[in-house]
Amino acid sequence: MTITDDPILRRRFGRFGGGSGTGASTSVNYALVGLLVLVTLLAVFARVLSPDDPIQPIGDLNAPPGSPDHLLGTDAIGRDLLSRTLWGIQTSWFAALAVVASGLFIGGLIGVVAGVSGGLIDSLLMRFTDLFLALPGTLVAIAIAASLGANLTNTLIGISVVWWPYYARIVRGEVRSLAARPHVEAAKLAGVGWFRLVFRHILPGVVPTAIVAASLDIGNVVLLLAGLSFIGLGQAEPAPELGADTARALDQLLAQWWVPVVPGIAVLLLSLIANLGGDAIRTLLAGRR
Amino acid sequence: MTAATPVSPVAQVSGLTITLSRRGTATQVIRGLDLQIAPGEILGLVGESGSGKSVLGLALLGLLPTRSQPMIAGSIQVADTDMVRGSAAAIRAVLRHHLGVIFQDPMTSLNPTMRVGAQISEVHGDEAEAIRLLSEVGVSDPELRVRVFPHELSGGLRQRVMAAIAVSGKPSLIIADEPTTALDVTVQAQLLDMLRDLRDELGCSVLFITHDLAVAAQIADRIAVLYAGRLAEIGPARDVLTRPTHPYTVGLLKSRLTLATARAEVLPTMRPEAAGVALRLGGCPYHTRCPLVLDVCRAEVPELTVAPLENADAAPHLRACWRDLADVRGLAAHHEPPVAQSPALARAADQPAVEVTGLEVTFRPKSGARRAAPVLALKGVDLTVEPGEAVSIVGESGSGKSTLLRVIAGILAPTAGTVRVGEAGAQMVFQDAGSSLTPWLTVGELLRERLRPLKLGRAVTTTRIDNTLDRIGLPPEVARVRPPELSGGQRQRVALARATIIAPAVLLCDEPTSALDASLAATVLNLIRELRAELRMTVLFVTHDLAVARLMGDRIVVMTRGTIVETGAMAEVIAAPGHPYTRTLLAAVPELEARR
Amino acid sequence: MTRFLLRRLGAAIVLLLLLTLIIFVLQTISPGDPVRAYLGVNASPADIAAKRHELGLDASLPVRYLKFLLNLLHGDLGISFRTHRPVTTDLSDFLPATAELVAVAFLIAVVLAVLFALSGALRWRLTGVLRGLLLLAATAPPFLLALGGIVLFYAQLGWLPASGQGADTTSPTGILLLDSLLHGDLVQFGAAAQHLVLPAVVLAIAPAVAIGRVLRSSLDTTLTADHIRTARAKGLPELAVLRKHVARNAVGPGLSMGGLQLGFMFAGTVVVEQVFSWPGIGNYLAASIPVADFPAIAAVTLVLGAFYIGVNAVVDVLQALADPRLNA
Repeated sequence: MTITDDPILRRRFGRFGGGSGTGASTSVNYALVGLLVLVTLLAVFARVLSPDDPIQPIGDLNAPPGSPDHLLGTDAIGRDLLSRTLWGIQTSWFAALAVVASGLFIGGLIGVVAGVSGGLIDSLLMRFTDLFLALPGTLVAIAIAASLGANLTNTLIGISVVWWPYYARIVRGEVRSLAARPHVEAAKLAGVGWFRLVFRHILPGVVPTAIVAASLDIGNVVLLLAGLSFIGLGQAEPAPELGADTARALDQLLAQWWVPVVPGIAVLLLSLIANLGGDAIRTLLAGRR
Repeated sequence: MTAATPVSPVAQVSGLTITLSRRGTATQVIRGLDLQIAPGEILGLVGESGSGKSVLGLALLGLLPTRSQPMIAGSIQVADTDMVRGSAAAIRAVLRHHLGVIFQDPMTSLNPTMRVGAQISEVHGDEAEAIRLLSEVGVSDPELRVRVFPHELSGGLRQRVMAAIAVSGKPSLIIADEPTTALDVTVQAQLLDMLRDLRDELGCSVLFITHDLAVAAQIADRIAVLYAGRLAEIGPARDVLTRPTHPYTVGLLKSRLTLATARAEVLPTMRPEAAGVALRLGGCPYHTRCPLVLDVCRAEVPELTVAPLENADAAPHLRACWRDLADVRGLAAHHEPPVAQSPALARAADQPAVEVTGLEVTFRPKSGARRAAPVLALKGVDLTVEPGEAVSIVGESGSGKSTLLRVIAGILAPTAGTVRVGEAGAQMVFQDAGSSLTPWLTVGELLRERLRPLKLGRAVTTTRIDNTLDRIGLPPEVARVRPPELSGGQRQRVALARATIIAPAVLLCDEPTSALDASLAATVLNLIRELRAELRMTVLFVTHDLAVARLMGDRIVVMTRGTIVETGAMAEVIAAPGHPYTRTLLAAVPELEARR
Repeated sequence: MTRFLLRRLGAAIVLLLLLTLIIFVLQTISPGDPVRAYLGVNASPADIAAKRHELGLDASLPVRYLKFLLNLLHGDLGISFRTHRPVTTDLSDFLPATAELVAVAFLIAVVLAVLFALSGALRWRLTGVLRGLLLLAATAPPFLLALGGIVLFYAQLGWLPASGQGADTTSPTGILLLDSLLHGDLVQFGAAAQHLVLPAVVLAIAPAVAIGRVLRSSLDTTLTADHIRTARAKGLPELAVLRKHVARNAVGPGLSMGGLQLGFMFAGTVVVEQVFSWPGIGNYLAASIPVADFPAIAAVTLVLGAFYIGVNAVVDVLQALADPRLNA
């Protein structure tokens, strides 16, 4: 697969994958993909699963994890941490999926157009893409989000603006390499029309690569979003959000460690599952080819 | 085994068995092999891919990849050192002082970030010595060339640099593993000459590993034929080539297409075999493919014994076969049935199948911001192909032959000139059939695509697909299969089926056999000839191999550097080539006659 | 080579211009009004208009962009809404601490990356655990690592301090490690080093894994390359093969990843400095975001972005020096 051949693209994709496969069996990989589905379900039903209102103080202050009414404890003003974490997972997961989807959509569109048309359009679009790729993405995202006003929507806009070029590069590269394969020339010779050529003979080959790239990327976005939320570029108080909740409770670390640590661990789990799941998807798709 | 030679051999392999593991399964790749290489001789080691020939070469160097966990029984002695159980330091000393090596791919076998001179003189000598060695291996301007990096040299030059590295320590044995396979025919011939000269000057021995008997014939004093890790036969080159004693050698010799191959007969083919099968079965490893198989062949491994030959002159000729020599000789003398002849076409005088005039194609290489000069791929090419004619285009890489084909196919727009193709259009069969079929579409879908413009009914379409597959020798079930599940030969058949499901005005073949094993190649060539006879098709066949061109074309067109230098009836071009370049090409075709 | 250098320099300048353009556009659409920041909310419309004119805000956009560029060239990055000081002054106060943190973190990252790569490619024993831990740590959000580090090494073990740079006096260069060394003040140096360890390691982990993985796969590729077989066939000792043939061919991807990660580290300081109260540019940025102090945010983005672009240009040149095929 072309992703890991490119050092610039590789920085984003896969913390676990790449190089030699771990030799994990197919069933393990399916289980890991199952975890991805599970997290998504958890996010969908977060509000139903939450035992309490995440915003209303309802319990003792700073109850430790394992308290009878509050499995993960409560924060400094008595809000249920489990509920806040579940809501936070929902926000983080959907936000990450939204960023990846927007990147895949914008980048994929640009990549396909560039790859299919070739020539001047291709080189113009790719010059443009490479410019964005060479910018310090995180910083530009911070600047955009901060200047539009600190809230989650603006953060998502900021990240989306810098996130698509990777996908454009990957999709374009895959389209070009497929288009250069003899099977495309052979199909042209067989009298296949332009539309059918693109949709039947080229794009089906791009889909697995794009899926792998996107699934390996979710973990990165989860971490980035948590980091930005931590520095104040997320939802405003009192809305529950994983990174921000940790940041607000920093001064409690030594007295009531769980208040800042619980949301942090939720981020760790999300990122871990996303990475493992993404890697499993890659292994499964690579095995199918 | 006792060596009959009075001088002690440079390399001695006795009872060698090598087991390699790939993904947890261990396979015996070399099985009970005995071999000596005498001082100053060139031993040709011939075998198909998977025969274990390269593994043997690496084992002699003590460089078997540790990843495949080699297990070695028996012994390998090079310069009186045990290359199996010797210390790492002792093996390195042998590598430094007694062994030289030339690997197959000159593009990847040199360090890309090190200057050529430094690579030559890394172990022995200095820059002056590197310059001397470069001129010895026939590199012009050696003073300039020592300072360049490998990527600045052509493939042939890089292989000469490899040779310079190989001889830098004045070795007693050079191991050359398919050193010419990646090169053009004319360069290949020059390199073989150079290797022989080096041997004559330095008096070293050469183990020349190749898949091609004809190449071995050009250079080897003795030839060893390896099949599935065992020696099928070994003897003086002339003997092995002219009086083969093993059915496998006979098969190899007959399926190697040369300028002497009978043109009117169906090309001889060997029974194909899935890779590695011979390594798993008992008995003679060749028994599943052998046309002379006996019960004993399936049960017991034949010993390597001296063949009872009439002229017991120099080196002994050994064979490992249960059949009598006379039976093998009979196999060699067997003739194939005549090839189906296309009934002479009533020459419809109206339109040629292909008419190309004043064709020019220019490529503008795009390498970053550097403006490279445009490359003229074709300059002023005129070509007319009459309906029903079979024309072969011969040329080396860079001659523009494939470009011409692609322009005729309409895939590539010409810079200047006109192309006219008959009404039914052109269809093409590509070099690599596997990659010319869309991997995620079924064979049926691929074939149906060509029928779409005809707007046939579903039933008619299905019948037509079944008939086409049948004509090409494939069962109708193949229509539901995707190309990656087919074998290489089957894919090439599917590609032919797609090209001919509607008979095209001209069938363009772009080296359709160069990626296939010799016997498979013959099968595909037979098929194209049959199809041509059956469909009365016009065929334009591009190849780098004059021997193949002779078999496939009534007329031969010779191209070099974007122009046609000679065109004429097949027999005339072969018998009396008019252009010097054609003569060079002809001289470079490896013939099965042992040299001198 | 000159041609390559010029081309790379040109690309870097184009990128810098693009970055300034983005910042300029953001500044013009940013809701924060610099005039109100200067004059306060009660200023009269006439005062505001006068100030707008004085600041050149009533000119056309291209003119304002040119003026913006000119100011940049003079080191004028505007006045911070929050500190009411020139942003340039703020930056010169905070940049050295960040530079110190990033430099040390990058060193740690490179060492860890090389260990990671070598242990994987050469299949050293007992390093599997280290690799697993690093991989897990790289999946965690940096702030969680920081919290874990504080709880373990400060609260539990008491080995390391949890916040600050470890000096109450301002040092001349702002880089404590350097100052204390220059003055031969070993006590001060030790304190500075102690304060550095936790934030630097936290900052180093994700880049270490990223660089290590790339380095490892390029080592894998190089070790199985044909030309390495050629080198071994010459009878060179394994160490000479590694040093003369493997190293230079394997280092390229690691170099480019190292450059990228060095750039990323500056963005990473925002989180890490906040947790450890490190008096650096990241903390400055984190403090500016909640109050929408746009001149400060823009300046930090510009300075760090310029550094990122510069580092990547240098890395490209280094790569071209290592591999002669690249500078064609």
